[in-house]
Amino acid sequence: MGFLDNSGDIILDAVLTDLGRKRLAEGNGNFNISKFAFGDDEIDYGLYDKNNPSGSAYFDINILQTPVLEAMTNNMSSMKSRLISYAENDLLYLPVIVPATTIGGSGYYSGLSSYIVLVDEETVNSLTTTNNSLDAGLLNGYRPDLGTNMIRTDQGLNTDEISDQVAISSKLLETQYFVQIDNRFASLMPNGGNTSLSPSSIDDDNIATYIVTLNSATRSGANIVSNIAPGAASDIDGPRGTRTEMKLASTLNLKTSTSLFNQLGTNGTTAITSGTQTLAAANYKFIDSTLRVSGVSTGYTVDIAVRFVKKTS
Amino acid sequence: MATSFKTFDPTKDSVVSRNLLHEAIPITGTIVSGTYSDNNIKNYSHGMFQSVYDYPFLSSSANHIFDLTAGYSAGSEVSGTSATHVQNSKKINIYNQMAQVLAGFNAQGAVREFDEDGDLTGGTKIEEAYFINVTRLLSKDEIKKGSFTLTLGVNADYTNPFAQTINITDASGSNGFKVNSPAGEYGILFAKNGTGTPMSAHGTNGTAVGLLYYQAGVAVLSSSAFDSLLSVPVSMSRTEGVASHPSASVNAILSSSAISGNCDALRHRTENLLFNNTIELNSTVYFCRANNTDFNYSANPTYLSSSKMVVKTDSTDEPVTYVTAVGLYSADNELLAVAKLSEPLKKTPATEFTARVRLDY
Repeated sequence: MGFLDNSGDIILDAVLTDLGRKRLAEGNGNFNISKFAFGDDEIDYGLYDKNNPSGSAYFDINILQTPVLEAMTNNMSSMKSRLISYAENDLLYLPVIVPATTIGGSGYYSGLSSYIVLVDEETVNSLTTTNNSLDAGLLNGYRPDLGTNMIRTDQGLNTDEISDQVAISSKLLETQYFVQIDNRFASLMPNGGNTSLSPSSIDDDNIATYIVTLNSATRSGANIVSNIAPGAASDIDGPRGTRTEMKLASTLNLKTSTSLFNQLGTNGTTAITSGTQTLAAANYKFIDSTLRVSGVSTGYTVDIAVRFVKKTS
Repeated sequence: MATSFKTFDPTKDSVVSRNLLHEAIPITGTIVSGTYSDNNIKNYSHGMFQSVYDYPFLSSSANHIFDLTAGYSAGSEVSGTSATHVQNSKKINIYNQMAQVLAGFNAQGAVREFDEDGDLTGGTKIEEAYFINVTRLLSKDEIKKGSFTLTLGVNADYTNPFAQTINITDASGSNGFKVNSPAGEYGILFAKNGTGTPMSAHGTNGTAVGLLYYQAGVAVLSSSAFDSLLSVPVSMSRTEGVASHPSASVNAILSSSAISGNCDALRHRTENLLFNNTIELNSTVYFCRANNTDFNYSANPTYLSSSKMVVKTDSTDEPVTYVTAVGLYSADNELLAVAKLSEPLKKTPATEFTARVRLDY
């Protein structure tokens, strides 16, 4: 993947993504382009020097010299950050999405900036005798309906320059999210529910996309997206927006087979502990993956590290 | 309400177009006849044809550029079953195969012979022919009509072939092509004097000497190009002329040499081959319009520091973003195509632009 020649006129280097080619090959009308977005993946806005003594013409001189990479065909690797349209030009703060790790039940596993999903009954039983009580960051992938640990994200203005008692502007409130996870490893389940959601699509790389909406109850009656009240506990410092709360149900393949662990995984390197229970490093394998949460309207994306663990001996 | 997607208006934001692109394909004779000591020539154990590459074919850099073969009809005077008729059945099979595909069948179901002027009701037939099958890599969708030129060395002396040449072109191709072939359109190949005057006379366009099938990418060259067309028939294998060694005439060689030997002889007398190909490009152009109120903010993590935009000091400052990519999405937000700009494009509320993204099929 080289850089594009930027010595002359602006050119556009366009390619179909692998998913686009797949949809085209299916020949059933699924290749139907209906909307577009602009992206700025290569841009480091930290290079914007609004105090440059040479004047405003030099504020973005470094940004404009950024070389642009050729188009990639992997649909998951392109357009990671999109440009956003707001009707107002006077916005100074924009909302972000952060993993809510300081609130009870959704902290990372100690020592890892990651959640650990225990994929089968034997692995869960090696770390708890009740199926309900696991240390923070350990998720029961075998029976997600048991226990209180979950993955949680908070959305809002993450600044201490605006009081957290102020309600977030409705135009900055995210009401719908894309949640993406590798469909070979897990499916999405709402906190408080006992039934996995159905993905809205699964791409050629087995990435399942779920669309979850504010106050939209799932089949099991639980919501994934809810409002955060002003001033409520949150990892957002300023005005709060919405929160997602979800669990991951490991797939039947991960529960019953070690093939994916042998193919994609690694032998354990450190012991995993929960209360007084320990799963020794030599006794498990793990696969590192990512859960991606993106705001549909605000476009902000956060990747959350997830480690799938299976006891092997 | 914020949004990062903008829906196309199908009535004005996309257009389907069809364009014909042409590439000039010059094949110099040295590639065909000796630059690589024939390491770019591939012969097969079946002996039915010979492949020509633009580089020694054992290299992964080599491209297959055309195939050569030769044949004659069962009724040809050079056909026969004696021991001196080498690969007689294979040559007839090649001729019939090419004729079946390119000239088709008559009302009785018999394979038509190639007709010199394209009038299938009668006239002179091409009974002995060389076939130049250009690969799709070069011909693409078709050979551009009126662009074909094949220069052959027709000096009587085999060892000095290019002292006299003829140019074979589809001179009338651009407006005089035929459509009565099952393999698409074809034109008549005409020969004119190149270097010297090997032909004593010819018409304005030249003298008919073969057929060129544009979509199939096949040139059918009559053996008369080396014989009756010329004042002095050429030798296909010897320094001495045909007059003293009739066994070296083109028809004698067609009969007594293997197909590969005939292909070698043709390559030896090929000085240049030049044509333009045609690529039919069907495109959909999407006009991605960024109006003044669109796309002035970014979800790029570096755009914010503690949720505050790094490109603004006060709320009254203009927001600014820099576009590097355009994503085309399905209705359910699947990224189907992506286009990258060669340099970042500044977008503010004071600017508008339209990115024109073309997808070719």
